[in-house]
Amino acid sequence: MTSPSATAPDTRPLGSAAAGTPSGTRRGTEFEGTVTVLTRQAVADDVVSLELAASSGEPLPVWQPGAHIDVVLPTGATRQYSLCGPVGDTAHWRVAVLREPDGRGGSQWIHDHVEEGGELRVRGPRNNFPLRPATRYLFVGGGIGITPLLPMIAEADAAMAEWSLLYGGRTPSSMAFLPELEGHGERVTVRPQDKHGLLDLAGFLGDPDPSTLVYCCGPAGLIDAVEAHCADWPTGALNIERFAAAAVRQPADDTAEQPIEVELRASGTTVTVPPGLSVLKAVEQAGVPVLSSCEEGICGSCETSVLEGEVDHRDSLLTEDERAANDTMLICVSRARGGRLVLDL
Amino acid sequence: MTLTQHVRNGWYLGAWSDEIGRTLKQRWITDIPVCFYRLPDQTVTAVEDRCPHRKYPLSLGHLDDEGTLQCDYHGYRFDGQGVCVGVAEQADRPKAALRRFPLVERDGAIWIWPGDPELADESLLPDTSWLTDPSWTHVHGVVPLKARHMLLLENLLDLTHETFLHPTSIGNAAVAATPIDVTVDGDRVGFSRRMIGIEAPPFYEKSCGLTSPVDRWQDGDFYPPGIFVLNIRVAATGTEEPDGFHMKVLYGMTPGRGNETHDFYALGRDYLIDDQELTKFQHEQQLAVMQEDVDALEAQEIMYATDPGGSAESSIKSDLAALRGRRAVAKMLAREQRAQQDARVPHSRASV
Ligand code: FES
Ligand code: FES
Ligand SMILES: [Fe+2]
Repeated sequence: MTSPSATAPDTRPLGSAAAGTPSGTRRGTEFEGTVTVLTRQAVADDVVSLELAASSGEPLPVWQPGAHIDVVLPTGATRQYSLCGPVGDTAHWRVAVLREPDGRGGSQWIHDHVEEGGELRVRGPRNNFPLRPATRYLFVGGGIGITPLLPMIAEADAAMAEWSLLYGGRTPSSMAFLPELEGHGERVTVRPQDKHGLLDLAGFLGDPDPSTLVYCCGPAGLIDAVEAHCADWPTGALNIERFAAAAVRQPADDTAEQPIEVELRASGTTVTVPPGLSVLKAVEQAGVPVLSSCEEGICGSCETSVLEGEVDHRDSLLTEDERAANDTMLICVSRARGGRLVLDL
Repeated sequence: MTLTQHVRNGWYLGAWSDEIGRTLKQRWITDIPVCFYRLPDQTVTAVEDRCPHRKYPLSLGHLDDEGTLQCDYHGYRFDGQGVCVGVAEQADRPKAALRRFPLVERDGAIWIWPGDPELADESLLPDTSWLTDPSWTHVHGVVPLKARHMLLLENLLDLTHETFLHPTSIGNAAVAATPIDVTVDGDRVGFSRRMIGIEAPPFYEKSCGLTSPVDRWQDGDFYPPGIFVLNIRVAATGTEEPDGFHMKVLYGMTPGRGNETHDFYALGRDYLIDDQELTKFQHEQQLAVMQEDVDALEAQEIMYATDPGGSAESSIKSDLAALRGRRAVAKMLAREQRAQQDARVPHSRASV
């Protein structure tokens, strides 16, 4: 699930049926078929990179930075992975896959079953995250979210654009492709969380600049934070790619490591929620009864009105609009950005 | 949590065009009795099926050749606009008029808006042109369901149940095993599921003459509160659009009286459209599958109805589309109730 998703969950146009053409039509010069795994290489803790070539020996379609392919697993499930090798190499494709023990099993399957010489069914490429021309780029990558940024960086470099990259991750050993990035000197800032804590987004992004485009891929918490920082940038300046369903039970970013203070206004009490404990549990421990059922951010029974503070949404249920409204949250999984919340409990 | 109150500011499928003629037809819609009929110029009319005199059902009355509707209890007569034009017993005309509902008749379907007529917006209707498109063919009908609308809605938004409830026709393990993408656009909820290289379920094997493996796509769109459109395509694995067989299913989930629902359906296809045998087979299958759903939903309805306090439900990830559908309807209902409350607040007289 940490593969950058091509089909960002909330972006498929819904009018498809209304438009008269049956929805879901896919056309163009996509490849659909079997590829052979030429190499499989561990590139970080729990990350393997796979080099693929068409099993038929034919050239693969060309692609642009930001593109991804669908890997169709024998289980019938489909997972998206960004292409991260050199653009223009029509003999090989490279993807990187993070093993996700809490995911839906796709990445686990790849980690456990894909071997050199083995075959995979793939489709694509498609691009929902295209790099637009600009004179200056700021790239922000979190964890495996570095993958679509690699070819973007190569392209920006080739176009002699000004660019810099801020790359965060849990620990240095969890961050893939560091050696490849080394050659870029000061343009690349590597900030593993265990040494540096929260990414200094404010310092890196600076003030809005009309000639700059921001590209970000990573866990939901990081993207949300970048979005917040870019709120007053010109429309279109920020370009993001979300991981499919990344919001589910991911320690989205550094905020999971911070205690938060939650005021329960109706009950007139305040609880401190340490990292590792859910707001729901902390509220229950304080003796305030709340409904809950799944405790996974799915069912919606723990939905609570938010009076103040900014929510770090981690559930699967709320829509983007509902999240943006910031007036409700699922307290079994979601937390706070900025360390404080006031709830109507 | 299962809603039993009904959203009224929304389009519902009220009837298929071929159900309504010069006889009066009663159908309850969102707990309102509605009388459908056609005027001499063939335009369809729907009025509240309660006579303003003593509430006798007008659908038990008569329609004459001029389109005058007569109540058969004490003889109130109403013109094509629903205005009372007289009563047998006395010379002067009683002051009375029937509540008429906004209607849209299009592509063989009659859509009704049971709520505030000011809000009736045709653009909220889905595209149904395939129901009359000559390159498509379809069958349609309506099945009575003794279960609340929300249960039908969740049934359609969570097709993982196909694996378990319809194993001999349209379901197999691939359906439940393939995750879905869920999208929300305003009030609308959509999902899509791509099953690639799967074993062909029996219905599709017979309907399309395909043998396994096949690719099967499902794209569902819920137009709240009561319309669901499913786009299906099936193709031999490895072939791409436009080689696939396309089918569309339209469901009108129209709340009736109490916890009863009219389960309108239309099943269309764009291949072998002259094959009557296939049409017959598909219609039989559609009804058989719907019967499996009806039996399940009616059993489920009893369980919800007898557990009004609502013991907690358990939910899983594949419920996402259904849960979002629930939320969409709950929000519409909340909006509607808020608007009603606001309307009830007495306005202070503006000082001049
Ligand atoms: S308990 Fe289910 S969403 Fe919180
Ligand atoms: S009830 Fe209809 S005329 Fe009396
Ligand atoms: Fe069903």
